Amino acid sequence: MRIEVKELGFVYSPKSPFEKVALDDITFTVNEGDTLGIVGSTGSGKSTLCRHFNALIRVQRGEITVGEIRLHAKKVDLKTLRKNVGMLFQFPEYQLFADTVKKDVEFGPLNFGFSAEEADAAAREALELVGLDFDEVASKSPFELSGGQMRRAAIAGVLASRPSVLVLDEPTAGLDPRGKREILELVTALKAGVTGTVIIISHNMDEIAEFCNRVVVLENGKLLADTTPDELFNRSDIVERTELDYPHTVKIKRLLAEKGVFIDSSALNADELSAAIAGRFKA
Amino acid sequence: MKDISLGQFYPADSFTHKMDPRAKLVLVVAFIVMAFLAKNFLSYFAVMLCVISATLVSRIPILKVLKSIKAIIFILIFTGILNLLFYNGETVLWSWWQIKITVEGIIFSLKMVLRLVLLVMGTTLLTYTTTPTAITDGMESLMHPLKYIKVPVHDIAVIMSIALRFIPIISEEVDKIMMAQKARGAAFDNGGLLKRAKALLPVLIPLFVSAFRRADELALALDARCYNATPNRTRYKQMKFSLRDVLGVLGTAAFIVLVVALNNNFWGAYEPVASVWWLFSV
Ligand SMILES: Nc1ncnc2c1ncn2[C@@H]1O[C@H](COP(=O)(O)OP(=O)(O)O)[C@@H](O)[C@H]1O
Ligand SMILES: [Mg+2]
Repeated sequence: MRIEVKELGFVYSPKSPFEKVALDDITFTVNEGDTLGIVGSTGSGKSTLCRHFNALIRVQRGEITVGEIRLHAKKVDLKTLRKNVGMLFQFPEYQLFADTVKKDVEFGPLNFGFSAEEADAAAREALELVGLDFDEVASKSPFELSGGQMRRAAIAGVLASRPSVLVLDEPTAGLDPRGKREILELVTALKAGVTGTVIIISHNMDEIAEFCNRVVVLENGKLLADTTPDELFNRSDIVERTELDYPHTVKIKRLLAEKGVFIDSSALNADELSAAIAGRFKA
Repeated sequence: MKDISLGQFYPADSFTHKMDPRAKLVLVVAFIVMAFLAKNFLSYFAVMLCVISATLVSRIPILKVLKSIKAIIFILIFTGILNLLFYNGETVLWSWWQIKITVEGIIFSLKMVLRLVLLVMGTTLLTYTTTPTAITDGMESLMHPLKYIKVPVHDIAVIMSIALRFIPIISEEVDKIMMAQKARGAAFDNGGLLKRAKALLPVLIPLFVSAFRRADELALALDARCYNATPNRTRYKQMKFSLRDVLGVLGTAAFIVLVVALNNNFWGAYEPVASVWWLFSV
């Protein structure tokens, strides 16, 4: 699904002493099949922007079109929209509530009008996708699960509705390296299947470098750049100004360059870079 | 979100905002007494003048203060109409069955409504200019003497301030959980009462789970830092009675004297003009 954002502006608590401009004149497009990274320092408006995509925040100024749905219209078909745009928040395990894992995972599908059998099938599929054994966990209380399992169950609860766009708001913050890895591999697996478009908010430039084909940079609610990760990490002015970091691959390339070893590759992911380095020394 | 965390607090850099919360608490009580002292329209006018000048020195838009009346609009209408219809006056303007409207009734119900309005405006100024935390601290300090009759003043204050501290956190949490469930297609604002109550379960359950987790963590953190509610704890923010507070007290005292004087027609100290005289008398 294509998402078009045009001149979007948003102000929290307008006309009060707490007034806060969170977004200002944002324009960009997310194409079907994109994995878009949204980066920027804390408070730059990333979450506010993303919450627009499934109308958790209503458009104040400007326009957003998600597929065929115009979010700036007076009436928005919230069901269809939210069925299509899934959103995964930080600490998703805090949204578990039902008395069994199965009921919790089916909550979304049933809300979106799946029949009982469809919801059951969707729950099965989603739980397997996140690596949980359906028969083992389905009838357990979500609060009996271990921390990692709880998080997977909660993620399954979002995936079960088979969204065509998945928005992840800092999905890996606070996870250990292995947990991070698992989530991102899950996202990659998803992209191969149901979910065509993925939007990731992240502070981790390695993730952006490895998984995203496009990246937008926000600064104080303004769009600072709309580019590719490769180009972004060549723009030291932007990276330094917004206090982003470089991914490890870029750092390694620079360190090598300082020693006189120039790697002529735009590889941003670890495997490709190591292949390029190996190739350079073979030659 | 932030609105809830600060109650009604309206941030501004003013005389009243900088006053000692204890002084403000005492002055609000004095103001309530003043509003109940007022007898005739001129003394009511003095009380009104007191509220207006307090609003001006607080640098709060007068409209903002007037808005607080909205909360009690039904009480006002109710009070006004009941007094108007059932006051036992003499100068009857219109009557039907047990009901009669009299001049005295009109005057009395006007006064009652005016008194309520003034009371709400005055007390609202306290919450507009003082953060809940400052109010709690002020109360603790003012209740200090109760310690001698074994009231656990400090414990009560700690419980109150922890509760206050957690209001914004909990409200943020409600926001987050609601968003997560809305994203999964939950609808909170349609259907009958029962359906709506049921729709809240996916919010309430995670909320309780997290509240208990937080309480646990907080208890652990307090223990880990060897917290105990010793009576002689010092504070980071010291409350200090300053010249500002003296001025505030003097100003309020002046208004109380004025109200009493107007109530008593200045003890006949001067001969008022005829129309003003009428106001003195009712
Ligand atoms: N509910 C809210 N009420 C008022 N201000 C808010 C609210 N949520 C966020 N903000 C403010 O809006 C700005 C952008 O916030 P956010 O979109 O959460 O940024 P990010 O996700 O990039 O950290 C911040 O300055 C933040 O303080
Ligand atoms: Mg955020």
